[in-house]
Amino acid sequence: MDRQDRIRNFCIVAHIDHGKSTLADRFIELTNTVAKRDMSAQLLDSMDIERERGITIKLTPTTMKYNYKGEEYTLNLIDTPGHVDFSYEVSRSLMACEGAILVVDASQGVQAQTLANVYLAFDAKLEIIPVLNKVDLPSADCEKVIKEIEDIIGIPAEDAPRISAKTGLNIEEALQRVVENVPPPHGDINAPLKALIFDSYYDSYKGAVSMVRIVDGKVKAGDIIKFMQTGKSFEVTEVGIFAPKNVECEILRAGDVGYICASIKNVSDTKVGDTITLLENPTPMPLDGFKVAVPMVFSGIFPLDGSKYEELKEALEKLQLNDASLHFEKETSTALGHGFRCGFLGLLHMEIINERLEREFNLDLITTAPSVEYKIKEVNKEAYLISNPSFMPSVQSIESMEEPMVKMEIITPPEYMGNIMDLCSDRRGEYKNMQYLDANRTKLSYIMPLNEIVYDFFDKIKSLSKGYASMDYELCGYKESDLVKMDILLNGDICDALSIIVHRSKAYGRGRSLCEKLKEVIPRHLFEIPIQAVIGGKVIARETISAVRKDVLAKCYGGDVTRKRKLLEKQKEGKKRMRKLGSVELPSEAFISILKIDD
Amino acid sequence: MEEKDLELNNTQPIDEKFADIGESVQETESKVTWKDELVEQEEIEETVDQKIERRLEELERKRKEELEQNQKPKKRALWSNKKIKKFDKIRYREQKCKEWEVRIVQQNMRDDKLGLYIHIPFCDRKCDYCDFVSYSMGLDAQKEFKEALFKEIDMYRKQCAKMVFNSIYIGGGTPSVMYEGFIYELSRKIYSTFHFEGDIEFTIEVNPNSVTSSKLMEYLRAGVNRVSVGVQCIDSKILANVGRFQTIDNIDNTFNLLHKMGFINISADVMIGLPRQSLDAVRDTIEYLIERNVKHISVYTLQVEENTQLYKNIKMGIIKPLGDNACIKMYELVNKMLKQAGFVRYEVSNFAIPTYESRHNFKYWKDVDYLGLGVSAHSFLEGYRFNNTPRLDEYIEKINNNELPVIDKEFIRDSERRTEYIMLSLRLATGLNLKKFRKRFNEDLLKSRANQIQTLIKGGYVYIEDGFLKIAPQHFYVSNRIILELL
Repeated sequence: MDRQDRIRNFCIVAHIDHGKSTLADRFIELTNTVAKRDMSAQLLDSMDIERERGITIKLTPTTMKYNYKGEEYTLNLIDTPGHVDFSYEVSRSLMACEGAILVVDASQGVQAQTLANVYLAFDAKLEIIPVLNKVDLPSADCEKVIKEIEDIIGIPAEDAPRISAKTGLNIEEALQRVVENVPPPHGDINAPLKALIFDSYYDSYKGAVSMVRIVDGKVKAGDIIKFMQTGKSFEVTEVGIFAPKNVECEILRAGDVGYICASIKNVSDTKVGDTITLLENPTPMPLDGFKVAVPMVFSGIFPLDGSKYEELKEALEKLQLNDASLHFEKETSTALGHGFRCGFLGLLHMEIINERLEREFNLDLITTAPSVEYKIKEVNKEAYLISNPSFMPSVQSIESMEEPMVKMEIITPPEYMGNIMDLCSDRRGEYKNMQYLDANRTKLSYIMPLNEIVYDFFDKIKSLSKGYASMDYELCGYKESDLVKMDILLNGDICDALSIIVHRSKAYGRGRSLCEKLKEVIPRHLFEIPIQAVIGGKVIARETISAVRKDVLAKCYGGDVTRKRKLLEKQKEGKKRMRKLGSVELPSEAFISILKIDD
Repeated sequence: MEEKDLELNNTQPIDEKFADIGESVQETESKVTWKDELVEQEEIEETVDQKIERRLEELERKRKEELEQNQKPKKRALWSNKKIKKFDKIRYREQKCKEWEVRIVQQNMRDDKLGLYIHIPFCDRKCDYCDFVSYSMGLDAQKEFKEALFKEIDMYRKQCAKMVFNSIYIGGGTPSVMYEGFIYELSRKIYSTFHFEGDIEFTIEVNPNSVTSSKLMEYLRAGVNRVSVGVQCIDSKILANVGRFQTIDNIDNTFNLLHKMGFINISADVMIGLPRQSLDAVRDTIEYLIERNVKHISVYTLQVEENTQLYKNIKMGIIKPLGDNACIKMYELVNKMLKQAGFVRYEVSNFAIPTYESRHNFKYWKDVDYLGLGVSAHSFLEGYRFNNTPRLDEYIEKINNNELPVIDKEFIRDSERRTEYIMLSLRLATGLNLKKFRKRFNEDLLKSRANQIQTLIKGGYVYIEDGFLKIAPQHFYVSNRIILELL
């Protein structure tokens, strides 16, 4: 048997929480890839934040050896994220594989992201192996779920392995199915090198590390490689595989999944989706790259301490290497100083990036309210996009404005349908279609403005349906809309970081609740502070923070000065964390309070 | 002519000349020179007793005369009496007060002698709002504490051998609940251990419930010349609501006794912002104190501290705290009334007829050392701040093991001292001495906090006068915020 015939590259796709990462753990255990004592649950979720939240954010590859019918197979598994925000990560891992295990929860059945992810796998022309997970649960109904997979997705599932990743039931059967059904990689080891970068990260010792799938040819340390998109060349210092920690090896050959280090200092030189070839014997045709991830949600990120701007810049650059979907550019705000306007795939992505910046780079940040990207047509000018409300021109010069729309699919048990439909129409959703998947689930389709779902739509859907409904959306173009820019005035000064673009019909309610929220979070000052929401010079809502009239420390009883000093020092620390806008001091919560309002 | 006299004679309180208000007790203050006493204790004691006898007789006679004069209803005729003269008097007094203020404060500022604080951790009953250390225990515990305290005093004998003290403050708790004879014994112990120079300010805190004539007599013999009475409020219902039980009769009795004994330098603690306290209750309290010829009043706004019964009661909804606005009104009323009565606010919460400022408390606000002894007492000595354990059993145990009962000790570095300096000096009416600050911390506050000071001056919160940065009196009630800006 040929070497290449004994390689299988596959990934696992599923709806969030259907058990991908746990199944990956079982595979790793079964193949003894990791010694028992080093094993921990959700092994491939290496980031703290992934473990804490119980979700997978980054794709993580691992190489396993598996004996089947007397042959030793090399299985390259790529665990992928399931949350809707990270479908971009999914699509990238799919490109490095020939097959995908489709995990479906036998008690929950097909969910919105099961569909979204399985369509991505179809697009990548992967062999799909359906697997029913959690069959040990009393609520599992395998027959029903099999029927769903066949009806809704349209692939045969009659003899799908019925497993329980938790208890370890029938795991081997699933692995055997991978060996039998997933086709081996069909590259030519003698052709010029062609390697696809499906991910990269920064290592402080080795520089930028590219995670690659070798399509054709071979590569080893000492080779001079060339990045076809950037045109730059480097000498390879190390190649290796993931087991799942990096393990150096001599050579990577067609069909392999591994990493390449080449002392690359600059993070932007290793673009995800680029093709690597050899300088001396290049391939004439690069591989198809990935479609560039389109950021949908934008927000300003500013260092709490203005002098940390450079650190923030470096941190973002490093994260970007690890997370190709993160976009950022410089932004200057009168309230917050220098920072960056960042583009994210969604709100969860935004939260995660924030948390990673704070944790991994030890930065204290202020994040402004998320916005989407609007298209503005000014009189006698080309239409252009803006994502920062403070760049919106005055009303007079705007001819028309468009906002991004999404195609929203929500799968829900019928009893919550009413609530969800109310929510959707409240969020300016346009009803398109309803489809009964079975007696217990209905698929609702809407066209909705993205602007209405970026804040809390997902949380709302979950709470309205007691967690049973699932959703997925994709961008479907722009639509003209009656949008206005709402500014917030604090003590008469505009706070640019609090400006938002909002639909006219929503402006009044949003303005009022934002003023109320700000009144809660801004501490009282020595003077009275009016908070006003203003549209084009007209005040639509107002709250007033009354002045402090009593703030005096009691007597220094018996000379206990220390306690009072410490109290003052603590208050002073608190003040340091405030941003000064004109005469008003704002706590950093004020800038995200906009997220927390309920209108 | 009279004016000139006044300025020359520092020791005679101004109000006695110009105030035909209330009683003007003309006795000399009861400053006992302890040195003589130590030499010939027995003899001196006798003369002291005789002195007291004589004074009591005199006082009694005066009172009778006064009572006869005031048979017609003259209730609270304090300033409604002789109305025409009133305004002149007030204006004159204000001017005088200003001069006095400067003089006294300068005196106090030059004061570099140490203060001695003794904390008595016993009370009849702990008030609901109190988060200071106190136990309600019997005689045995008091005796045990005394033994420990005296040992602690001995422990400092060596360290303080070269230090000079000029004030003693016995606080608590309630020092007046201690068994009879304790304060006298304590004073002997103190005098024989620490070195005093000049006249001494010797203050004791008393609770109207536990004052008796024999105890006051004992205090006089001990050398006490300043008494601080925990009045808080004269409406007993309001006090009972926060777990403090004392009646107007107790308070009356206390003042009667104090006056009888010849105490002049009397201070009273007043609380405002108590639950269910009305503006009238505050007015009555202040009027009452002025009537009783109190020379010094400390006014505190109730602060609900965690770990107090009051905090729990409020949490459970049994008691409703007073709103900020009500507190502010009370505070403003107190200011107005005391100003009219000739008091000067020399510190955020302290008012005094000029020359009756508390010397001991000045030490806390200034760069002056003080030694605190007893359970939970705080000290500032040779650059260190430290405090004793708040637990009576631990205090006794440590001392019995020949250890100091100190639990926290911290060297005050310049950065911390700077914070303290700003925080403490701005509490005083005299404000922060910019020149001294520059010398002490090598920092020109007017430059380093230029923006903040400018904003504050523009807003009328602070002003600069003769090289002193001061908080405007009408903004004392937000002094914390103002101080924060300057840190």
